[in-house]
Amino acid sequence: MKLHLHNLGHRYGARVLFRGIEHTAAEGSVTIVTGPNGAGKSTLLRIAADLLLPWEGSALLYQTSEAVTGAQRKMTTGYVSPEMALYSEFTGAENLAFYARLRGLQPDNAFLRSALEKVGLKGRGRDRYADYSSGMKQRLKIAVAQLGEPMLLLLDEPGTNLDRSGAEILQEALQEVRNRKGIALLATNEPDEELWGDEKICVNAV
Amino acid sequence: MNSMPWHKQAAALWKKDIRAEMRTRVATGSMGVFALSALLLIALSMLSVKGVEYRDALGRLKPAWDDAGKMALLWTLLCFAAFTGLAHPFVHEEESGTSLALRLYMSAEAVYAGKLLFNLTTLAAMMLVITPAYMLLTGMNTGRLILFFPIMIGGCFGLGSVATVVAALAAKAKSSGALFGAIGLPILVVFLILLMQAAHLCYAGNATPISIVKDVGGLVSFGVMIVALSAMLFHFIWDD
Amino acid sequence: MPAQTKSAAKLQGAWWKYTAGLLMAYVIYGAFAIAHGAIGFAEKGVAARVIFFHVPCAVLSSVAYFAGMCYAVRYLYSSHRKSLKDDWYSAAAMELGFLFCILCTLTGSIFAGIQWGSFWNWDPRETSIVIMLLLYASYLLLRTGLSRSPEKKARLSAVYTIVALVPAQFLIWVVPRILATMHPTTTLTDPRMTSITYKMVLYPSFAAFTLLFIWLMQLRVRSLRILALRKERALRRISEKY
Repeated sequence: MKLHLHNLGHRYGARVLFRGIEHTAAEGSVTIVTGPNGAGKSTLLRIAADLLLPWEGSALLYQTSEAVTGAQRKMTTGYVSPEMALYSEFTGAENLAFYARLRGLQPDNAFLRSALEKVGLKGRGRDRYADYSSGMKQRLKIAVAQLGEPMLLLLDEPGTNLDRSGAEILQEALQEVRNRKGIALLATNEPDEELWGDEKICVNAV
Repeated sequence: MNSMPWHKQAAALWKKDIRAEMRTRVATGSMGVFALSALLLIALSMLSVKGVEYRDALGRLKPAWDDAGKMALLWTLLCFAAFTGLAHPFVHEEESGTSLALRLYMSAEAVYAGKLLFNLTTLAAMMLVITPAYMLLTGMNTGRLILFFPIMIGGCFGLGSVATVVAALAAKAKSSGALFGAIGLPILVVFLILLMQAAHLCYAGNATPISIVKDVGGLVSFGVMIVALSAMLFHFIWDD
Repeated sequence: MPAQTKSAAKLQGAWWKYTAGLLMAYVIYGAFAIAHGAIGFAEKGVAARVIFFHVPCAVLSSVAYFAGMCYAVRYLYSSHRKSLKDDWYSAAAMELGFLFCILCTLTGSIFAGIQWGSFWNWDPRETSIVIMLLLYASYLLLRTGLSRSPEKKARLSAVYTIVALVPAQFLIWVVPRILATMHPTTTLTDPRMTSITYKMVLYPSFAAFTLLFIWLMQLRVRSLRILALRKERALRRISEKY
């Protein structure tokens, strides 16, 4: 398993974000993506999640020697991003159950309870997502991203609004990715979080 | 890991949308209130021509407001009512930011199928309420039931399929609410012409099998073509 | 290349534009001086001379749609990096379709007013052209609503062009056949129905309008390219400044 970023570049209209990013993330590794605001960290993660077609170059995920593409790649990707929202008209447990079903899992009560407990939302599963605090929302998003144990975990500034125990949850999630020989990308500018990675990509505005 | 079959994902999305709709009632509520008020207005404004008769080109006396005319107004009403509510499923996902997760968790075809199914369900539910109420208030007859039901179902299918793809397009633009009706209704005008042509058959005594196949077939094929093209092109709309 | 030979080459490439101009001049002259008044029409058939302009406009307004759709398909399904050029061609064709649609409606309405006594008769072809106008208008409206990203604009408007093909082809093929029409459907398709003087003007008229269409399309694509370049340059200037 590896994620290969080759000569990656993206631009919005005339504004070039980054060019010529070259990186290979090996299995069981955590890669930190840093760079100033507006340099394109989020865009890089979006491309890695296969949600955005890069302007030039490629970001390919290899299971064996063949690249994983299409629906299969989507099924093995977990993604947390500030732009992503869950359904505010549903409770936390209902949100989890919906995304679990889309991943082909059968979410029974025990499953949901353990998933919520893992991100420290025990006993809050029946509250509406709209009534969650921003930190709790972030925790639920992390729980959703971990559904089905994705081999590629992409965390875009996951530490926003999280307290100390929230940071521990993140570290635990990264450790789990390492254990199952997956790959994690973590976009952050927090010095503490930068220490969690094995490698580093610096995205600089061109 | 194996990928999920698209119909299971579509069913999950449909269930989610139905559940959300039961809670918030945005789409059904706005469509229902719009349709009922329009229904009332039509019934009131048509009181003046209720008993009026006119001579057609061949000199026969005909009621000014016959069943075919009533049917035409019913469908005009349903079209406008549909366009007040059916943009909601897509616009809501885009505006609340939940579309990003759907893009990752579902294939584009599954999203299209799920949303189409949801729109057809809402539309069918609205028609089940509005049509009998309209018939009661205006005295519209069903005509030949064997034609009436295919026309109503074909109409629901065509209307829902146009509204779904146009809603997906409009949701991507700014001020999508205003754009939705403006880009959807011109497509529907053609569909309504076909529908009214078919509706005449319901009440005409001399409908030949060929004209039935031609008109009802034309009606159904319109919806089928829209669905086929939309399914083919949906990933261009949905993916960034 | 020296400036003189360059402009000479440009002039050589422009021969068909001169042809278009000459043909159009001939058609305008011919419509009034060569063709005889049509038999069996009102006002000694003078109003019927409008067909030299009306019919080519009607044909072009549907041909333009198909041209726009072909470029839309080409844009969406080009395998490699999508080229905005296809989008410009598609948009230009649709804009011209809108223009010819308006011209066709106006010329038709003038004729209807003189021949049938009313400027609007709800003839199926009249209904069709008005709906065609609406379809073109909503296409242009969708484009203005998508002004933020040129790629998204190109993609979504291409999809709309293809989806709206369903009502458009129903309009062109089905609707005029299922509703009774006042339009003479066979007069122009049957060669025995028109006199030799009519043919002498009508056939060049098709050629003149087709050339005019291609020329206008070239100009519009060029102006769309300049607009896109100017926008890009302005963006670059802003990003250099701040």
